Amino acid sequence: MTATTTSPEFTRTHAAMGPSYGAPWLQQRRAEAAEVFDRLGLPPVTHEDWRLTNTAQIAKIDFNAPGNIRALTREQLGGLCLKKLGAQQIVFVDGKFSPEFSSPGGKVEVLTLRQGMEKHGDRVQRFLGREMPAQANGFSAMNLAGFEDGAFIYLPPDQGEMGLVHLLWVTSAHDQPVVVHPRNLLIIGSNTQITLVQSYAGFSSQPTLCNAVTEMVVGKGAKVELIKLQRENESAFHVANEAIHVHEHADVQSLVVNTGGHLVRNNMTVHLAEPFAQATLNGLTMAAGDQHIDNHTMLDHARENCPSHELYKHLLGGRAGAVFRGKILVRPDAQKTDSKQTSKTILLSDDAVMNSQPQLEIYADDVKCTHGSTTGPLDDEQLFYLRSRGVAAADAGALLTYAFARDVLLKIWHTGMREYLEEFVAAELHRLHLDQAES
Amino acid sequence: MALVEIKNLQAAVGGKQILKGIDLTINPGEVHAIMGPNGSGKSTLSSVLAGRETYTVTGGSVLFDGKDLLDLSPEERACEGLFMAFQYPVEIPGVTTSYFLKAAVNAIRKHHGQEELDAMDFLKMVKEKMALLEMDKTFLNRSVNEGFSGGEKKRNEIFQMAVLNPKFAILDETDSGLDIDALKIVANGVNALRSPDRAILVVTHYQRLLDYIVPDFVHVLCDGRIVKSGGKDLALELEKRGYAWLETAAA
Repeated sequence: MTATTTSPEFTRTHAAMGPSYGAPWLQQRRAEAAEVFDRLGLPPVTHEDWRLTNTAQIAKIDFNAPGNIRALTREQLGGLCLKKLGAQQIVFVDGKFSPEFSSPGGKVEVLTLRQGMEKHGDRVQRFLGREMPAQANGFSAMNLAGFEDGAFIYLPPDQGEMGLVHLLWVTSAHDQPVVVHPRNLLIIGSNTQITLVQSYAGFSSQPTLCNAVTEMVVGKGAKVELIKLQRENESAFHVANEAIHVHEHADVQSLVVNTGGHLVRNNMTVHLAEPFAQATLNGLTMAAGDQHIDNHTMLDHARENCPSHELYKHLLGGRAGAVFRGKILVRPDAQKTDSKQTSKTILLSDDAVMNSQPQLEIYADDVKCTHGSTTGPLDDEQLFYLRSRGVAAADAGALLTYAFARDVLLKIWHTGMREYLEEFVAAELHRLHLDQAES
Repeated sequence: MALVEIKNLQAAVGGKQILKGIDLTINPGEVHAIMGPNGSGKSTLSSVLAGRETYTVTGGSVLFDGKDLLDLSPEERACEGLFMAFQYPVEIPGVTTSYFLKAAVNAIRKHHGQEELDAMDFLKMVKEKMALLEMDKTFLNRSVNEGFSGGEKKRNEIFQMAVLNPKFAILDETDSGLDIDALKIVANGVNALRSPDRAILVVTHYQRLLDYIVPDFVHVLCDGRIVKSGGKDLALELEKRGYAWLETAAA
């Protein structure tokens, strides 16, 4: 296996530029990660996991560190805020913590990773890079070597219902390509409930690379919802490596909503590490133009009696391409696993392409694993029915795609977030159908 | 002025000629029935009038309220006051009947330069129409036609007709799949909607429906042409004699 060829500048900029703050252990991990990146480079298309997403176009661009934070207006930020929902909010602009736009106060202690290292040094040392090690791939290595900051949450056990926390990452307008490496570390104590939202947005017309890593540990009996809203603009490259470690009787639900980005790759890994842990992974992709959106999920059933559910839906117009690859690994100790995976796609144009692949590896003998995948156009009969009642073609399309998308949104536990995303998705779909009608 | 004026209408599907020259004039207030054997082109006529794109019009013209109907999209036809009750109403999971109807009502209002109905007025209007068709209260929050019985689906069609208040309604084999009780409810609904401003075209294979919705005119369609027209007694004659004598005449 050979790595994608990266220019010497690329390697120098991204692997050796890690900030110099932090304890010796961090400096050492960064140095090791830089070496890993030197060795791996960006994943090549010859790598089975990256066959359908070519990183060569990322390697070709000379990304720079963002330097000083550019001006971001209140208006730009206002549309991305979740304050109305009562969320505690921490904002990062161009990879740096923005005290001006953040309002992290509330029930949950929401810190930056830098603050976390000062206050909870031992914990950060213990968990940083544990769930998503540098060795996972070139991007995770590059992140550990080069990250500037991120969000850090530690919730002690037995806190009950902790509401909504929003981690917002924004890239401002730049006149050259820039890269940021968001790194979030979220440790949720046992018997605690919380909804965590990550948003990624950008305003640059130049290419941007957002190379995010999010690591989360969910304690025994905790109930955690992790929602990601990827709404960057059409010049954005977005790669995210996320890993969740789920303890006994804990229940975790993830939703990844992708609307933006030129090329997006989400790796979501969930370790069901102890008995009766459960995971639900949902996804909704809405893409058009030349967007390419790739979701890889990995459900690692390590122990017995763990249920998991996956529902990924895709709405593709223009020449958009999407990938869903769902791996379910059932280890020998994971008896009584009950796992269901579904991928559904509506193609809104003849040129849109969906690639859906289930991948089941089962080493236990008393398990139930099902998977299914459907891809097709909008139903002509349904469209005609709506039009015959006076609803314009584009509105009828928007209505039907919304109905298609909505059952993913209905699964959201947090009422405010559910309503927010229902409105957001309806607006996005209307835009998608208007684009479609014009093209 | 006639509400609907069909002249020498010809249509094909997949290269096969189905309608071979239909002439039919319908005035406001009239109820016309189109009868005919299977494969005579009854449903094709309904579909062509409603604007279904799988059919190609190969000749003729249709004037609807003075406008060239064939030039309008299906949604424009609906906004201009044409309504078709489907023979096989489609299920739309995830779209509630209430949401769907509100979209339809407001699209039509917008077309006529009227303001959209607010939620309260909409609900009030809809509930009146629901009583007419003896619909269950839970119906508005159910997905359109999802899990409905055949009878419920047909009732839903007539209910929509009542809500959308069209000038011209086509009932495409509305009686198929209905038991006698459901048939009566549907027919009562249709009869309540008869008015001097509205014309109705009932497309049916059987005479039975016409016992309940009594037409002013009956036309027999055979092999893509109207081969005989008459009053309501023609339906009774067809019931007795079948279609064979007319098919022979058409050939």
